[in-house]
Amino acid sequence: MLALRLARGSHPGVQFRRLLVATATAATGFLLLGTLGHALAHQDTAGGSALRLAWCLAPMAATVYFAVAVARTDPGTRPRPGLSAIGLGPARLMAVSAATTALSCLLGSMLALLFFLHLRGDLTGMPFDGDAADFLAADHPLPLPAALTLLTLVPAAASLSVALTLRPRDPRPTPGNRPRLRPYNASGRRAAQTADTSASIDAPATTPGYAETPAQEPAPSPPTDPNPLPAPNPTPRDLPWGIAVLAAGLAVEAYAGRDPHTPGLTIPGGATGSPAAVLAGWTLTALGLALAGPGLTHLCGRLLQAVRPGALRLLAGRVLMAEATRIGRPLGVVCAVASGAYAMVTLYDADDPSLGPLTALGALVVAGCTIATLLTAAVEARAARADTTAALLRLGAPATTLRTAAALRATALLALFVPLTFLIAELAALPLTA
Amino acid sequence: MVAPPDNDVLWARALHFQHNDGSPALSGVSLGVREGEILAVSGPRGSGKTTLLRCLSGLVRPQRGEVWFNSVPVHTMGPLTRERLRRDRFGWIDPAPVLVPELNVWENAALPLMLRGTSRRRAKTAAMEWLERLDIGDRARRHPHELRQSERQRVSIARALAPAPTILFADEPTAPLYRADRAHVLRTLTTAARSHGITVILATHDAATASLADRTVSLLDGRGVNTVHLPPVPEKETEAAAETAADEGAEADAGAGTDAEGRAACSLSV
Repeated sequence: MLALRLARGSHPGVQFRRLLVATATAATGFLLLGTLGHALAHQDTAGGSALRLAWCLAPMAATVYFAVAVARTDPGTRPRPGLSAIGLGPARLMAVSAATTALSCLLGSMLALLFFLHLRGDLTGMPFDGDAADFLAADHPLPLPAALTLLTLVPAAASLSVALTLRPRDPRPTPGNRPRLRPYNASGRRAAQTADTSASIDAPATTPGYAETPAQEPAPSPPTDPNPLPAPNPTPRDLPWGIAVLAAGLAVEAYAGRDPHTPGLTIPGGATGSPAAVLAGWTLTALGLALAGPGLTHLCGRLLQAVRPGALRLLAGRVLMAEATRIGRPLGVVCAVASGAYAMVTLYDADDPSLGPLTALGALVVAGCTIATLLTAAVEARAARADTTAALLRLGAPATTLRTAAALRATALLALFVPLTFLIAELAALPLTA
Repeated sequence: MVAPPDNDVLWARALHFQHNDGSPALSGVSLGVREGEILAVSGPRGSGKTTLLRCLSGLVRPQRGEVWFNSVPVHTMGPLTRERLRRDRFGWIDPAPVLVPELNVWENAALPLMLRGTSRRRAKTAAMEWLERLDIGDRARRHPHELRQSERQRVSIARALAPAPTILFADEPTAPLYRADRAHVLRTLTTAARSHGITVILATHDAATASLADRTVSLLDGRGVNTVHLPPVPEKETEAAAETAADEGAEADAGAGTDAEGRAACSLSV
């Protein structure tokens, strides 16, 4: 109930983001139900239906990723002193956040079910009644438990991920769990926040310059600072891994593309009949791009503030370096999706019968979710820097300078990532077109 | 001794300000600031000190009243002109140091100069000079999160002083500090201001801090007040007050405090 009330009174922008989550869930739910319809209509060929179900994993993952990003940005579910005074601490707020996510996802799932029934012709009275009746196996009775199971998949996965991402953590350093050895999670920011206090006590361990020094023994008496600043986000170190995985993916694809007559894996839509190894190569390429995203963003910021920077380049570059993990990860994912989309368009065959509206819907969900996640991350970064921006304005920093710095950051990122995406996409599509 | 009016570098007449939610902040405050002086604006929390400083520095526009800086009206300026005035002539120190976390200490201190278009080398020289004077020159290459709160506050003072502003607005610059740090920060601030002829307007609720200033303007509930010297309290009353408070030793101080507060509140609005 509390989640409902908190959800009702939020800002229109937040409501819009939740609505987007509901839409994405609805589309994914519809894809899952479409798979169910396919399975009902082709009960003799279970393999094809299973493959379709497996392909639904991509939109599902994109939807969950987006839902987590939206929950992290939600200002209503951040620990606030006023709320913690009435007993709404971080743990309770995590529950509220998970409930809010489940709520918007369930709304989407319900929409998907209604639309599905409507297109099957089970619900009447609106246009397009039963237009897709044969496609969605209207002549078979719908197994309700199966449909409900499929529809609860996305809400359950999303709220579980949100709860895991936002779970309250002990900020105190524990022996054997050094902040710099801690891997990033999908958010990056959370990992940084957990490292906050420990890093401020043992600051040199997280500064880039000291990264290579062996682990020092803990300081005997940590300096007592009543107002410690949060340590900056750690420098991303995944760039070599990302490039290695990316190169491996391209190599696998090129190797698989040597022999075009390999018996293939049927992909609904896209590159029909391409060998499984090509698919594995594509996956590796996408993973590599996502891994390399933060490192590339950091590099971009470093170049931006490189030689004798003035105030503008200093602000633009350093902020980009600090926000590398938060912005770079979704940016890498967007690049991976964009290069995949480019390759798909290159290989698109208009006469291909397997490319249906469901494929287009799936591609749309994946693309929309990743782009929306990137925009949400940008909003989150802006909210996190609101204090600093206000202080700069009090100093008399011109608002135009701050805006120009933001534009400079965006331009630098575009200048690096757009050619990179094209290059990767061309390389990825090369073995298949040749 | 009253200074001639054209000696006032900044003066305000009958400032009225109301917050967006309708709560009144200033109701008819007038003051004049002479060139090179350190003026303390004192008063308890919520008495409108910060709002007065924000009005004087052109951060917000008063609903009624006038603010003049060097015979230029600030209250009629557009936002862009006020922004330029703030950048070129005014400095500002926040109660808690808000530094740009991504820049290191000297870059933070040099940022206002660089925003004005000073070359990087000259900005760095000026910033380093001030950091040395404020005893944090050895930490110039650290990042803000590696410093302690008092050091960060000194960096923000250096940042405010480095562009050599005409007027420096310090809004409770020592509020979050311990007393030892507080004295150090205040001493450096006032010494630097006096040696460079910078006018300082210092908001504080602390009488000890206000005593460092040349002159004090008291605010109470958004009005300027002059504390009137009341006739000495009769002996009997003091004794009675002491008796009631004598039960607990700690209470005695509090009793005296309320007494003094009550007398201070018996003041005339100007």
